[in-house]
Amino acid sequence: MQDLDFFFALASAPQLLEGLKVTLWLTLWSNVIGLACGFLLALVGVSPIRPLRWLYTCYIEIFRCTPILLQIVWFFFCVPILFNVYWSGEFLGLLILGLNLTAFNAEAYRASIQAIPPAHHDAAVALGLGWRVTAFNVVMPQAARNAMPVLVTNAIGAFQQSALVALVGVADLMYQGKLLSTQTYRPIEAYTSVAVIYLVISVAFGQIAGMIERRNALYR
Amino acid sequence: MPGFDITFVATYWQALLTGLGLTLRFTAICIVSGTVLGLLLALLSQSRSTALRALVRVYVEMIRGVPVLILLFWIFFCLPVVTGLEIGNFASSVLALTLFMGAATCESFRAALHAIPHDQHDACTALGLTTRSRLFDVIIPLTVMRAIPNLLSNTVALFKESSLASAVGTVELMYIGQNIANATARPIEVLTVVGVLYFLVGFTLTRLVSVAERRVLARLAP
Repeated sequence: MQDLDFFFALASAPQLLEGLKVTLWLTLWSNVIGLACGFLLALVGVSPIRPLRWLYTCYIEIFRCTPILLQIVWFFFCVPILFNVYWSGEFLGLLILGLNLTAFNAEAYRASIQAIPPAHHDAAVALGLGWRVTAFNVVMPQAARNAMPVLVTNAIGAFQQSALVALVGVADLMYQGKLLSTQTYRPIEAYTSVAVIYLVISVAFGQIAGMIERRNALYR
Repeated sequence: MPGFDITFVATYWQALLTGLGLTLRFTAICIVSGTVLGLLLALLSQSRSTALRALVRVYVEMIRGVPVLILLFWIFFCLPVVTGLEIGNFASSVLALTLFMGAATCESFRAALHAIPHDQHDACTALGLTTRSRLFDVIIPLTVMRAIPNLLSNTVALFKESSLASAVGTVELMYIGQNIANATARPIEVLTVVGVLYFLVGFTLTRLVSVAERRVLARLAP
């Protein structure tokens, strides 16, 4: 076994940072897509129109029952052919991660909307509130708060799963780690550094989320 | 875009079915080893020794804190260098997904352990059960039953993550599918069929989760 040399990893920090930037960018925007589109999709999922609910179920099940790696590979190979578009790898990766997160977040929103006791609807009706007030001032604040823990878990999951786009050649943190390891024949330092970066960010995210959750719990 | 022709995939049905079989076998191996590991870890996390509890905590946080892909790559590329053992891609993938599954099931078991009502422990004491009998006849059966819905969700997750093994060259459905797609230059048809195969198994499994959830709930709260 060769000598370990973590100074080498330090020396190649700029390369890893370059990758981390892409990873964080992917995480941020896929979460923006996931939070916004997931909410809209959840509204489709609780709509009284049955065909709309079927559409919702199809979307959810397709994304939940197939591996995300397959979704990514399918997207990267098939979307450019099917739609005759040539988008960058980063953009394609962002789209598919966002679409995947949309499915999981929509389930979280839907569950939390349906968890609101029917008595609240009755109360809203009794108070003569319009549907808009009911939706925005009664249902949504509660739903958002109930869905929060799952949304955060999903966000951290999206951060970790963004590593998969390295397999289709997007230059994220994982990809830079792989590159570094093959360029320098130092797999241990390269992969360990990458793992530590992922670990620190995930744990930090988790801790912050836990703090917010505890503070939220006080308001109940 | 070349003509869309899904029927040609049928000529590869044997290869694809073999891949599905390998994926299922691989998943089954990791489920068994990962669940055993998870149960052991969960029991350890109940131990009186603070150090042991901390160790389990650190293990779980570490495995859950890094993407499965990096875990897999670390084991595949670094473990042979560190230990001098060349374990190959199949064993590496099994090891990586077992560690992943161990951490996930540990959490499921721990939640189930905490959900056991305290009277059960009291009853064990009142009946004068030995530690072994208490563990194997009371605690473990109760824990496992409560944990079943979560364990099944873990199984679904593992089944999906098993596709990552293709990244280090383990032959399974994803690997075979990508190879056929590349060889025939018809990714749309081949990958769609692979997706459908994954979907069929994944969908069945998720249905099982809901059935199990209902039945366990019915048994716990009749």
